[in-house]
Formats: sequence, C-alpha cells, structure tokens
Amino acid sequence: MSQTWLISGPPGCGKTSWILTTIRSHPGPCGYLRLSGLSEDGLEQGHNAGIDLAWLRDQRPQLQDLSQSDQQYADRADDQLNLIELQQYRPPTDPGVDGIDPRISNQLKALQLEPDRALHFGREPELPEQDTLEFNRLEAWNLSLHNSVWDPNSLSSFWFELVNGAYGDVYRAKALMNLPDGRAFFCNWIVSQQGSQFLPLERVEPPTGRPDRTSELVVQGKALDSNGIQSTINDCLLSDAVLDMHQAPLREQQPDLFQAKR
Amino acid sequence: MAHAVISCLHANLAAVEAVLDDIDQQGIETITCLGDLVGYGPQPNEVVELVRQRAIPTCQGCWDEDIIDGLNACECSYPSQLAERRGHLAHQWTEAQMTADNKAYLASLPTSIRRDKLLFVHGSPNSQHEYLLPDMNAFAALERVETAGAETLFCGHTHQPYVRELRGGSIRVRVQHHDSSSSEEQEMTLPMRRIVNAGSVGEPRHGNTQATYVIHDEATGDLTIREVNYDVAKTCQAIIDAGLPEVFAWRLSHGFEYAERADDASHVCER
Repeated sequence: MSQTWLISGPPGCGKTSWILTTIRSHPGPCGYLRLSGLSEDGLEQGHNAGIDLAWLRDQRPQLQDLSQSDQQYADRADDQLNLIELQQYRPPTDPGVDGIDPRISNQLKALQLEPDRALHFGREPELPEQDTLEFNRLEAWNLSLHNSVWDPNSLSSFWFELVNGAYGDVYRAKALMNLPDGRAFFCNWIVSQQGSQFLPLERVEPPTGRPDRTSELVVQGKALDSNGIQSTINDCLLSDAVLDMHQAPLREQQPDLFQAKR
Repeated sequence: MAHAVISCLHANLAAVEAVLDDIDQQGIETITCLGDLVGYGPQPNEVVELVRQRAIPTCQGCWDEDIIDGLNACECSYPSQLAERRGHLAHQWTEAQMTADNKAYLASLPTSIRRDKLLFVHGSPNSQHEYLLPDMNAFAALERVETAGAETLFCGHTHQPYVRELRGGSIRVRVQHHDSSSSEEQEMTLPMRRIVNAGSVGEPRHGNTQATYVIHDEATGDLTIREVNYDVAKTCQAIIDAGLPEVFAWRLSHGFEYAERADDASHVCER
C-alpha cells in the first residue's frame, strides 16, 4: 500500500530537511507536494515558488511531483511514499489526520491525495524540535531570480547583510541562487541557527549563458525593507557581458564539449 | 614626548571630534594623520576643514587621491561587484559634495611624511592602495619597512589597528660566479623594525564600533592603541539625511566597513 503523509509546521522548523532525509531512506518511489498553506492573523505565508521541489528533485531526480495532473493516483506504486509539505503556524486542534483543516483537505482531494498520517513539528516527538519557533507576526516577501546569475562574492555579502538585519528583522530566508560557473546553491537560514546552510545542487549547468532553472528568494520577518533588498540584489547580479567574461575561460578549458552544446 | 597617529577618518565628523577630544585630554600636542579624510561618510567638507583648522600634518590616502584624480583604481581593489558599485556611488556623491578649496587641499597632500626614522604613509611605502595586513608574510613586511629606510612604519588603510614587531630579520644573498663553481654568500642581520597600524577613526573594522588611533611615546618607544566611543547614531542619521544608502548606516552601526576591504594584501594597483 502506498502511504501519504502530511508534514506541517511553522517556517524554518526543518520540514524540507526532514522530508529529504525520509525520501533518502525510503527504498521505494516517492512523491512530493508543497501546499501553499493558509495565512493567519498577522502571519503571512511565504510564496515558496518551487524552491523546495527543485531542491528535493535535484537531490532525488526520480521524485514525483504530485501537483502535476498527469501523476494520477492509479499510477502510484504500492510502496510509494507521498510526502506533502505544509507551512502551518499553529498546531492543529486535533491530533493526526482528524486535525487537518478542511480547506487543506479539499485541496488534497482535488489531487486525489488522502493523508494516512499528519505530523506537525512541535507536537510529534519523532520530529526534531530545535528550530520550531512560535511566531506572532510575520511578513513574507519573495523575488523570482529566474535567469539571474550572481557575482559570487556579492552573494556572500548580500546574504550576510540579509540574515544579520540590514533589511529588517529577518527570521527566515531560503533561496536557490545561480553562480557563473554553472553551479547553484540552496541557501537556507533560520534565526534559531548560528549560521546559514549553503548546499550545492548536484546538477551543474554548462557555462554557456544563463541557466534556465528555478531560482528564487523567499524572506520572512518583520519590517522588511523590500526596496533595499531589491536594490542590493540589482548590484549583485551579473550583466550578460560580465557573465560571459566569467564563463569564457571555463569554456576554453574544454572547447570540444561546449562547442557541441552551444 | 608622546604623539598621536590617526587614520582613515572617512568623513565621519562625530568620530573625528571624539578622537581629537581624547587626544587633547591627554595633553598630546603632536598629531599625524595618515589620510582617507573622505569617502563613504556623510561629512567630507566638515572633516577636511577640521583637519585643516587644527593644522594636522596629513598624508594623502587612496580615497583622497581618487577624489582628486578620478576613479582610476583597478577593479581588483574591490572584492566584489557589490562593493565596487557602492564604492563608485560613494565616490560620485563625495566628489559632488566637496568644495574646490577642500579638493585643492587633498591634492596638495604628500604621499608620505618622514620624521627621523619614523615613516608615515596611508597604505604602504609603495602605494596608498596596498594593504599591510597584520598576517602579511614577515619577509615582505620587513622589506616594506627596510627599503623605505624606516625603523617604525606607521600605516592605516586596513582599518585594523595593530603593532607588529619584526625581530631577528636577515637578508641572505648568494652570488654564483658564471666562470667558477664557487659561490659567495653574504648575510645582513637587521635590527628590530616595527609596523604600526592606527586602525580607523571613521570606519572601524576591528570588531566593534569604537574609533581607534595610536599614541607613540618617542622617548620610551611605547605604543598604545586607543579605542574611543563616539556618537555612532549621529553619524548614521547623517548618512541617511545625506541620501547615502541606508545600508552604509547599518554597516557602520555594526562595526563593519561600508563596503569591504580587498583580500589581496600584496596587491599594488598599477596605473
């Protein structure tokens, strides 16, 4: 029998990391869905725009995207594990699947998904607790960085400023960022942690222009200076000419390889 | 007699006033300034005028030079595109604010000041743009002091105050004659040399927001790094009021440089 689990919790509690660990240890096929979640009084949902899915699929390329209508329930293998990620600030009133908000249940029914288990960070002892924080007020801001490539040292400075409060009280930041050499990094920070995670994606794009893959920044916090963030980002992203200056020496190292791909 | 050495004022009037007060309170009458009176900070004219009014002997810093000569430092002076854009913005703003008279004063500054065996420069004896970082290779550091003919070299530019004593230094030369298999070796042992970095008055980056400067007692050779509190919030507000990027105020209030320092300590800008 395939299993479907709903994994919920507040921003930054470690849902995606826990899901990745679970996927890696599950011997059978896995499916994944990230629900947009419900905003509550003063607590805004962050628009994730595919960061988590892109990161998980990079780590586990066979991962099924359960949001796609062509992934019908009938196609799912018996030993398939479906993991549904949901940002939810407050613990459900009832434990288990009985505590799922009807609005969430309806979204899942439309995708022919019916959870067998519902696990909430901060309540279930099998889930880590150290980063599960209680928020009273939270703004969210996101920016598509599709086709954007960062100057590496500028990215480092920007991220340092962002998570240390230069643009408001940031509690949570998550991003996928492209570098000129074809690498991309999953950048992950929560206020309860000492430092940021910078995890390289497995997939490296050829240094032949702008990569066409998910690149996005999501920030959650209070009194966010979105204009300031945007302005600094503009100073960090590479122009076509500068990007080519970075990539030309890399292409010259393996001219035959990149001649064929261009 | 004790004298004070200040550096890297960076148009931060509140910090300069606090440091000069601290020097005055200790009865020190001789002050030498190692340049970078302007750049990034919100009060370039006020700081230059205060230094002129006090008739403080001053070397020209890299920012002072660039305001006069235009932005011609090579790109590698900036460690990132972001730092370069911010640097250029600050340059354009400062250049537009400064009076012709104050620019002429900056243009008139010497690149070094020598007092007996004491040499005062902004970056290094080679260039206003060269960083003499505290962990720089000892031989290279010794070479900078020795070839300049100094016993003690006072510098700034890194914004990190330090005193480095170079003891037991020697230079060994082996000459191999082309027409024989013999070689001749000579070794010169050098007396102790010192590099003294005064840190920064207006843009500290030594771990807190306090302005730093150095006191040197010429009679005893003692060196003291002083840290002085000043009204950081006042300068931050002046940055915002001047229309400079708010992130400059945030960085200053946390003890970070406005942009970032270059990582390559040995780099000398070639023009």
